Amino acid sequence: MPKTDERVDTREAVFLDRPWVTVVWDDPVNLMSYVAYVFRSYFGVTPPEAERLMLQVHNNGRAIVATGDRETMERHVEAMHGYGLWATLDKAAE
Amino acid sequence: MEFRREKSGSVSAMFEPVEVDLLRQIANQLVQLLHSIDTDDPMTFTLSNVSRLLPAAYPDDPEATAEFRRFTADGILEGKIANANAVIAGLGDEPVPDVSTHDPLPVPIVLDDGQVQSWLRTLTDLRLVVADRLDIDRHGVPQNHDEESEMISDVYDWLGMVQESLVYAIDA
Repeated sequence: MPKTDERVDTREAVFLDRPWVTVVWDDPVNLMSYVAYVFRSYFGVTPPEAERLMLQVHNNGRAIVATGDRETMERHVEAMHGYGLWATLDKAAE
Repeated sequence: MEFRREKSGSVSAMFEPVEVDLLRQIANQLVQLLHSIDTDDPMTFTLSNVSRLLPAAYPDDPEATAEFRRFTADGILEGKIANANAVIAGLGDEPVPDVSTHDPLPVPIVLDDGQVQSWLRTLTDLRLVVADRLDIDRHGVPQNHDEESEMISDVYDWLGMVQESLVYAIDA
């Protein structure tokens, strides 16, 4: 578990009202079947939803797979890196 | 080599002894690589294979990326090492039979749910590292074509085949 309470900084205070997103990027290495599997097993989405997100990654180069507070998004990104997926955090578009 | 779902819930496949030996060897190399990553050294993350195993969480913010890594990199690496070691342990330590003297018998590989997780993640980490070595482009095509790369490319394809078969088997 990330020790998030130790790194509260001014950025969080400024952007408290703006949610964060977890972005998964297309990479040429990970198999489409595996990426869909990760979405199903980690985020608990239905197989059609996992397929839709995976195809979005594949066709658009990236997909937003989760939205929420920064701490939760960091946990998701950490988990995605554990699965070997290329994931990043970003602030949600206004 | 094809994984199937058993009635017991586990998945299993028959591996050729050379396949077992190959996987054991490269999984050991992966463990060595993972152990060699010094997360306290910021330069570590400029290595392309390391940056793919531990990507920048904030692509436009090196400071936040460094902080994220400070809190997560060691744990992620420990998980990857544990997974690779679980794969190696599951392969047993049977020496590879001498193929010139007799037909080696296929080796049954049986995986429970926990082992499946370790296999899927380790196969991914192996492919990430091998893809970096082959300089795979964004279409998945290797850019390195020396003799050694041709051989490694076969290993890369084989790892993908094993992983695909495993994903399909657990979906069944």
